Amino acid sequence: MKYFLRSSSGRRLEVEVEHDPPSTFRLRVDGRNLRADLVDVDRQGQYAACLDDRSFAAAIEQRDDQHLLVTLGGECFVIQATDEREQAAGALASTRPRAETVKASMPGIVVRVSVTAGEAVSAGQPLLVLEAMKMQNEVCAEHVGVVSTVEVSPGQAVAAGEIMLRLDPPAASRPAAPD
Amino acid sequence: MAPIRKLLIANRGEIALRIQRTCREMGIETVAVYSSADREALHVRFASESYLLGDPAPADSYLRGDRIIEIAQQCGADAIHPGFGFLAENPEFVAAVAAAGLVFVGPPAGAMAIMGDKLASRQAMVAAGVPVVPGSTEAAADAATAQAAAEGIGYPVMLKASAGGGGKGIRVVREAAEMDGAFTTASGEAQRAFGDGRMYLEKFLEQPRHIEVQVLGDRHGNLIALGERECSIQRRHQKLIEEAPAVGIPADTRERMYAAAVDAARAVDYFSAGTVEFLYVDGEFYFLEMNTRLQVEHPVTEEVFAVDLVEQMIRVAGGEELRLAAGMQPRGHSIEVRLNAEDPQKDFMPSLGTIHNLRLPGGPGVRVDSAVYQGMEVTPYYDSMLAKLIVHGSNREQARRRMMRVLKELHVGGVATSAGLALTVLQTEAFREGRYDTGFLERFQKNGETPARDVPDDLEEIAMLVAAMHRTHRGVVRVERSDAGDGLAPWVQVHRRNLLGGRTSR
Repeated sequence: MKYFLRSSSGRRLEVEVEHDPPSTFRLRVDGRNLRADLVDVDRQGQYAACLDDRSFAAAIEQRDDQHLLVTLGGECFVIQATDEREQAAGALASTRPRAETVKASMPGIVVRVSVTAGEAVSAGQPLLVLEAMKMQNEVCAEHVGVVSTVEVSPGQAVAAGEIMLRLDPPAASRPAAPD
Repeated sequence: MAPIRKLLIANRGEIALRIQRTCREMGIETVAVYSSADREALHVRFASESYLLGDPAPADSYLRGDRIIEIAQQCGADAIHPGFGFLAENPEFVAAVAAAGLVFVGPPAGAMAIMGDKLASRQAMVAAGVPVVPGSTEAAADAATAQAAAEGIGYPVMLKASAGGGGKGIRVVREAAEMDGAFTTASGEAQRAFGDGRMYLEKFLEQPRHIEVQVLGDRHGNLIALGERECSIQRRHQKLIEEAPAVGIPADTRERMYAAAVDAARAVDYFSAGTVEFLYVDGEFYFLEMNTRLQVEHPVTEEVFAVDLVEQMIRVAGGEELRLAAGMQPRGHSIEVRLNAEDPQKDFMPSLGTIHNLRLPGGPGVRVDSAVYQGMEVTPYYDSMLAKLIVHGSNREQARRRMMRVLKELHVGGVATSAGLALTVLQTEAFREGRYDTGFLERFQKNGETPARDVPDDLEEIAMLVAAMHRTHRGVVRVERSDAGDGLAPWVQVHRRNLLGGRTSR
């Protein structure tokens, strides 16, 4: 199976992986062949990894189907691994502008809402303030857009994952309505 | 006064556990109190006895002084240790403990009341001849009053909560136009955290270092300084890395700081452990505040002086005379890293979740003060500090390299932590050479510079290949074990039950 790998630092790599069960792998990357071995140690996320003669204590956490958090020697890497089919599907999807929902990343209390429906916002603009663990945290827009709805009000308690606000893509980048 | 035999610890998390550990070594029985969110916590499991306080919110649990005193009386405890945070610096609580016929393991209420009031303490320090930061002598209840005071002091100024502490309710105001907004946010934060929204102002010192002196006194008038700690690596005015001793302070200045710290404590008839915080700029130092409690970073002092500060507090509270001499010299160097459940990439936003995939460091010169366990829920109710990693080395460079090693061994899954950032900071030239101030971390993060790191060049590539292998075969292969579960051999589990399960039958 061929994988397209991308790290959070933007580095890209293509690798051909052949699996010899139970734990051995043959990798082909940039024209080099590597022997590798990956063993799940404790079912908790600790792995024993070997690449050629080098040995590593790895910790792996699955974020979603494609994203993994790999920690080696105290250094943490977020890696996206997509296969050929997903790669093709992803290339198509990313050309369309998308709406954004702003969700609470943790349970907390809404202290302040700084925007109103219909307001245009820039990327990084503060949208609201959420208080948790005695600290106030500003929640900012990830992309440029227009506030479509505000779902919370000051003083309201929110659960993790609760939608607090919805953003539409800016008018100019919205696909023209079909006739 | 009689020695303490049974101690109620009015706290949670790593500090409750840390105090229990000393009690266990001293043969003192421990009483834990807990909120319903902490039923499974280690401080509950490790205690001799434990009692439920109430719902998770601190106001319904760890701040319920009345209920805590009632529990202490009913279970026959003779003393209460408050730890830090919660009731630790509440003079009314100290007075109520005494009124109930119990011993408070900490300083006298009077000293706490003066030092807890930022303005009263400034006035007391001026009277005692301790140098203070120039600033206002009156509290400001609104932005207009603060603005008028700021004109007199000259911008930039620090806006601070009169009742403050722990970095909450503090803002730097660089010009008059910023005052309104800064006052509203800071005062609101102070109102929620301390129930008092009044603020005062201090001249903002450019690039100061935060140096603090540990003091220790008894009820018989003995009072000593036990070295200093450097705590300048801070984010949002909360400390992240601390070390002892501080680098590059001339011997005579150091002695003057110790003398000023002892003067400060003596001015309020202090006993027990306390910390006098100073700002240090251009070879001069200024009194910032006195923390009338055990400090989070107390372990670095313990490591270099081979003193158990909790033990000293308990002995002093029981009426014993201090047996430590003034002028003790530190041995080697110690560094502490606070492990917080927060995401440095997202402006230190608290990170909540269930702890899993936990691997704690060990080996020579390593101390882990932690209450973290596999399966622990990190909830929004309490402080984000999970654990403290402490190392001791024969010199600063050995301690620094040791801490780097420790941070590479550590792994915490389920939440984001401050560990990676600490590892990066330890590798900067500024930290290596001991040239840093309280603005270091903010500037460092803003500049986005990455120091030359002590990692293989291709580590990222290896992580990517590991990810690809993991995706290829999610199950990979698992090592089968008879004791699948928490990974301990059966005899260790049995031994641990006996050791830590409270009252044993033996």
